[in-house]
Amino acid sequence: MILLVMFVALLVLVLLNVPIAVSLGVVAMFAMAATSGIGGLSNAALVLYSGSMKFALIAIPLFILAGAIMNSSGISTRLINLASALVGFIRGGLAMVTVSASLFFAEISGSAVADVAALGSILIPAMKRRGYPTPFAAAVTSSSATLAVIIPPSIPMILYGVMSGSSVVELFVAGIVPGVLGGLLMMGVVYMLARKNGFPVEGAFQLRRVGVALREAAWALLLPVIILGGIFSGWVTATEGAGLAVVAAIVIGGGIYRELDLAALRKATLEGGVQTAVVMLLVATSALLGDYLTEAQVPQRVARGIMDFTDNRLAILALLNVFFLMVGLFLHSAAAIILVVPIVMPLVLAAGIDPVHFGLVVTLNLGIGQQTPPVASVLVTACSVAKADIWEVSKVNVYFVAVLVAMLLMVTYVPAIPMWPVELFYR
Amino acid sequence: MRRRFRQGLQRALEFAVLGLTTALAVVVVLGVVFRKLGAALVWYDEVASILLAWLTFYGAALAALHRAHIGFPKLVDGLGPAYRRPLILLGEAFVLAFFLVTAWAGWRVFGILGGETLVSLPWVPQRLTQSVIPIGAVLFIIAELVSLPDVWAGPASHDDGVDPSEGEGVGLEGSA
Repeated sequence: MILLVMFVALLVLVLLNVPIAVSLGVVAMFAMAATSGIGGLSNAALVLYSGSMKFALIAIPLFILAGAIMNSSGISTRLINLASALVGFIRGGLAMVTVSASLFFAEISGSAVADVAALGSILIPAMKRRGYPTPFAAAVTSSSATLAVIIPPSIPMILYGVMSGSSVVELFVAGIVPGVLGGLLMMGVVYMLARKNGFPVEGAFQLRRVGVALREAAWALLLPVIILGGIFSGWVTATEGAGLAVVAAIVIGGGIYRELDLAALRKATLEGGVQTAVVMLLVATSALLGDYLTEAQVPQRVARGIMDFTDNRLAILALLNVFFLMVGLFLHSAAAIILVVPIVMPLVLAAGIDPVHFGLVVTLNLGIGQQTPPVASVLVTACSVAKADIWEVSKVNVYFVAVLVAMLLMVTYVPAIPMWPVELFYR
Repeated sequence: MRRRFRQGLQRALEFAVLGLTTALAVVVVLGVVFRKLGAALVWYDEVASILLAWLTFYGAALAALHRAHIGFPKLVDGLGPAYRRPLILLGEAFVLAFFLVTAWAGWRVFGILGGETLVSLPWVPQRLTQSVIPIGAVLFIIAELVSLPDVWAGPASHDDGVDPSEGEGVGLEGSA
């Protein structure tokens, strides 16, 4: 009964446009006061403080900072030039460049919104000039940016790792194959649409041009090698890898390319700091509620309730997929991970699902949520850059969302796709 | 007057967020370098975690000023002023009450901590590190009140002298 009251109160507060982080805190404080009296509330400060001190989450502002430096220092332009030299000759060349540049970007940045803003501001106007319909330009940029959340490093994966107690490094490794596969499938869809609509090519393939672009982008390509190589080899932790990414981006962007735009960097750092704070306040207030839910054994009761209904692993995965897809329609991915993952983890473990595999399932589900209105921040950013209507873009985006759904089904029901490199190197 | 106060508060919080983000990067990098040199810094984890906590609460106040916290504004924004404004006041009341209780709780803990210090840096009092809770809560309340007139005026209003795009860029999904 108390739980139902808490859920309804939470819903009412969210509908009143009270920030979700604060809504969680208000509900938790009422529960604390009801069980331990007003005096119990003084614990709230300690829980909020310790809840905001999660060391592993330091990687979030650092990866955002590394991405900001990359975008302010000419690294992004060089990656786009390289992608253009490699795939620009295929029909729908600029859209192909968008997908492949997103793949490069995703290996350095962990943020889909940052990717769509950085790539979209260059490639969407370019596509429009070459006669691509604006909704298509926005849709391909938006959906391919979502690949950033499954290709390491990924901020949702870091959050999932902390909330579920899974290895962030294993999650990163599990994202590699689905990420590359998703990129290739998206290129397939671009090719199909390009042929159907007669989109242009960007000149013939020239080995010399590839050579020049590769030489120009060589240092930029070194960034993911440093970041991911360091993390995957165990030389540094994910958080330390994020710190190294910042240093490497400064050295390459500022020292080698000498194009660091300090004003842009300041703005991006500020935005990154605020984004981190927004997520971390959620983490901190969810710790308040989490304490209460754990005491009331809510996650265990949810697990028992569903296991009594079915203990079939595939059915439970299907149930969780539908649930996360629904959640993704209305909640931003970080909020969804922080709120839902701790509650469903006992069920996931009881059903014998590998938490790392489930991490990929959750991340992909919420990646799809970034593309599906009403709450679809990546799509909204792409529409804002393209100055396009969100519903017009959504009509074209259906093709790309279909790729993401296909990826989700593959990752869910063929665990070997994400898990084989994890099994090979880490178990 | 409000505009000037708001700009001053914004600058101060921006300074704090920039400084803390930079400090976090520097501490983590120093931590890696010294560990690899075989002289691990004992204070590295603890100080980095404290910096993250500080970034959380000072950054949260800045996000409140821009109304950039994750929420669901579609319902309230979609209503006419006759319904929207009472609901805005009700929502604000919950936000202010939460941070008032947090500030009170933080202040009580402040008293309880006494002379306790950090484990790795015994000369740093816990009172200093945990001061972020009451101070952050009060700053959040101020930021919320300062930006309330803009929310009151309606979703299309940008008469506060602040570039609205600054707020748009700091929505949550930057983290995704």
